[in-house]
Amino acid sequence: MEKLDILIAGVGGQGVITLGKIIATSALLSGVKALVAETHGLAQRGGAVNVHVRLGNVYSPLIKKADFLVALEATEALRNLSYTDKETILIVNERVERSVLPRVKMLSLDEIKERLKEYRAIYIPAERVAIDSGNPRGANIVMLSLLMEFGLKKLIDEDKLLSLLDEKNKRVYLAGKESITFLRIR
Amino acid sequence: MKKSLLLGNEAIAFGALKAGVGIATGYPGTPSTEIIETLQRFRDRYVEWSVNEKVAFETAYGASITGAYSLVAMKHVGLNVASDPLMSSSYTGVEGAFVIVSAQDPSMWSSQNEQDNRYYGLMSLIPVIEPYDPQSAYELTVKAFYLSSKVHHPVILSTNTRISHVRGPVEYEEPIPPIFGKLQKKPDKYSLVPDVARRDRQEQLKRWELIQQEIKEFNEIEGDGRKLIIASGVAYSYVKEILPESVRILRLSAPVPLNREQIIKALEDTDEALIVEELEPIVEMQIKSIAYDEGFRIRIHGKDYVPRSGELTPDIVEFAIKKFLGIYYEPKTKVEEYVPPRPPAMCPGCPHRSSFIDIKRGITLGGLSQTFFSGDIGCYSLGILPPFQEQDSLTNMGSSLGIANGIFRATGTIPVAIIGDSTFFHSGLSALANAVYNNLPVLVVVLDNRVTAMTGQNPSPSREIDIANVAKGLGVEYVKEIDPFNLKESTKIIADATNWVKQNKKPALIIAKRACALEVIDKFDKLPIAEVDISKCTGCTICYDYFTCPAIIPREDKKAFIDPVLCIGCGACIPICPYSAISLKGKIPEGWDEVWRS
Repeated sequence: MEKLDILIAGVGGQGVITLGKIIATSALLSGVKALVAETHGLAQRGGAVNVHVRLGNVYSPLIKKADFLVALEATEALRNLSYTDKETILIVNERVERSVLPRVKMLSLDEIKERLKEYRAIYIPAERVAIDSGNPRGANIVMLSLLMEFGLKKLIDEDKLLSLLDEKNKRVYLAGKESITFLRIR
Repeated sequence: MKKSLLLGNEAIAFGALKAGVGIATGYPGTPSTEIIETLQRFRDRYVEWSVNEKVAFETAYGASITGAYSLVAMKHVGLNVASDPLMSSSYTGVEGAFVIVSAQDPSMWSSQNEQDNRYYGLMSLIPVIEPYDPQSAYELTVKAFYLSSKVHHPVILSTNTRISHVRGPVEYEEPIPPIFGKLQKKPDKYSLVPDVARRDRQEQLKRWELIQQEIKEFNEIEGDGRKLIIASGVAYSYVKEILPESVRILRLSAPVPLNREQIIKALEDTDEALIVEELEPIVEMQIKSIAYDEGFRIRIHGKDYVPRSGELTPDIVEFAIKKFLGIYYEPKTKVEEYVPPRPPAMCPGCPHRSSFIDIKRGITLGGLSQTFFSGDIGCYSLGILPPFQEQDSLTNMGSSLGIANGIFRATGTIPVAIIGDSTFFHSGLSALANAVYNNLPVLVVVLDNRVTAMTGQNPSPSREIDIANVAKGLGVEYVKEIDPFNLKESTKIIADATNWVKQNKKPALIIAKRACALEVIDKFDKLPIAEVDISKCTGCTICYDYFTCPAIIPREDKKAFIDPVLCIGCGACIPICPYSAISLKGKIPEGWDEVWRS
C-alpha cells in the first residue's frame, strides 16, 4: 500500500490540529490507516505547532521525511525544513504572522520565498481565498483543497472528505480548488 | 466491535470502560487529560477531577480495596505528588482492580522534566505496562485491569505524548457495566502499622513473584535471525517501521518486571542484542543482570546506541538499528537557519496579562525596589517571557510559596509568590499555612480565572470555594480581591498590600479575579472589539511591546492596529494606552460583565 507523510505546520489557533483530524478521519472513511501525532501543551495559542499526519501502511507516529509540508503560516515552513528534502512539495500560505515576543524581527514573505527557492513550493494567499468565499477562518480548508489536488486524492475519497465539512467550509474548499489554476510549483 | 479514529487517551478510556471501571479520578496534566475527560461522558460511573494527584490516587485506591475496578490518571510529575500512597498501595495490594495511568512527556513538550516513571515500578514493585500505539493502548488497558484483578495488585499503565496524543484507528468493544465495591474491612491488611506492614511486605514479595510469571503474556517475539532487537513501548512502532528482514524483535509491552525464562529464551541463539527504549535504561539494566547471572557472553547494546534524553524519532531509531546491523547510515543534518522564535502566548483577553502589569506597577509603587517572583505551574508560567519576566522560578505544582520562603530566609528580600487558583488548591494551601505559621513576609497573588485553563479549561475548586475566605481562615490578615482589568485600582491595592507586608512582616494575599477569556468567548456569539483612533495614536509601542496582546499589531508607521478577528473586546488595553487612543466599538452583549466576573 502507498504511504504518504504530511507535515502540517502553523501557529496555535489557526486550525492546525483540526486539519490533521479532518485528513485522518477522511482517510479512515476511505479505508486507509492514518496516524496523527500532535503536541499541545499550554494549548499552544500563538505558538509554533506542527502535526504529523501519516497515511497508509505506517507504524511510527512521527514523520522522518514529509511528502508534503503544509504551512499555514510562511515562517513555519522554514522552521520545519528538516522534515523535507528536494522531493517534498511545500504548500505555503502567504501569511507572515508576528511573534508575540516584543521586538522580534520577522522575515518578510519575499525573504522567506528567497530562502525556499531551492524547494518545490506552491504559494497561496489562503486567507484571501477564504474571506472571498465567506469564511474568514477557513484558511486551513483552502490548504486542504490544495493538498487534495496535489496528491492526497490518490488515497482519500473526495466525497468522503466533503461529507465531513459543513456548507461554509465546503464553499471554501471549492474556492481553494478553483484558485489552483493560478498556481504553479516552483 | 466498533472502529473509529481515536486519540490514544480516548482508547485508554474505552479500554477502562470495556474492563468495567467504576471509579475514575485524576488531576489534569498534559498529556494525560483526555482520559478523564472521555470517561466523564459515561454517567453510570463515578468520575472526578480531584484537587491533586495524591487525593485522586487515594480515592481510586480506596475504591479498589472494596473490590471496585478503579483508575487514576495523571501526568508523569503528578506521580511524585502521589508517590506516598503509591508505595503503600503496593504493600497492601487491592481487592478489585486498580490501574494507575502515568503519562510521560519525553522531550518536555509541556513539562519541567522528563523523568522516566518506569523507575517507580521498580521501586514500588508495581508492574508497568507500556502501549506502542492507540490500538495497543486500548487492548493493554483492558489487560492491565485483568492483571490487576487476577494478582490483586496495582498496575501502572505508562503512556507518553506519542501514545496519548496520537490519533489512529482503534477497534473497540462496548463498555461493560461498572464494577463497584462493597463495604469490607481488613485492618490487618490495610492499616499499615509496623506489625501489619511487616507481614504485608512478605505478601507483596510473593505477589511480585507471581506477577513475574503473569507478565510474560504481555510480550512477544517475532521474526528470525541471530541478532535480536528488544523494543519497549513506543520504541516498537519505530523499530517495526524501519526493521529489515532477518532480525528478531522481542516486543516488550511490560518493561517492569521481566520474566526471566522469557528473556533467557530470547537471548539463546542470539549473537548480539540491541535494546531500544525511550529515556532511561530500565529494560537494559534488568536484561544485563539476567544475562550476567545466566552466563550469556554476548554484546548487549542499549544506551550506547540510543540517547537517554528526549523522545525517540524515526531518525534516532534508524541510526541505532543500522549501527547495530553494521549498515552505514548518515543521520539527517539539521537545517541551521535563523527562524524567528514563536513561543506560545497568553490569549487575547487573558486576565493574567493584565495581572502581570498590575503586579509590576503595584509593587514598584509600594516601594519594593527589587523582588523575587516565585512562580508556579499554569498558563501564567508564560509570565516568564518578555516583557513581563515575572517568573524567577517555577519548578513544580505549589512551588511558589515554599520557594519564596527559602528566598526570604536566605536573602531577606521580600518575595512575590504568584499562583493560579487550581494550583492554590492543589498544593498551595499547606504552603500558605506555613507562611502564616512561620511569619513569612510575602505578597501572594492568586491569579483566579476559575478554571484549570492550561489543560483545556477543566473545572477548578475555586468555583465552589471562596479563596478569600480560605486565606482568612488560614490566618492571613490582609486579603483583598482585585479586578486585573482595572489597572488604576489594582495597582493601588497591590501597592498598599506591599507596604503592609513590609511593615507587618507577615503574608498578604491578593486575588486577581476575572474569568478565563476562553470561557467568555465560548458564551457569546457577537463580541465588541477594540479600535485604535489613529489620529490619537502616537506610535509609542506600549500596547504591543509592553502589553503584548496578540490582537494588537504594529503598522508600518509604528502606530497600532487591532486585528478584528483576534480581538475579543475585553477592553483591557484601554487603560494601558497613555494617549486614550483605544476605545470599544460595538454593543456590549447582555450578561457580558457577569460572565467575566462569575
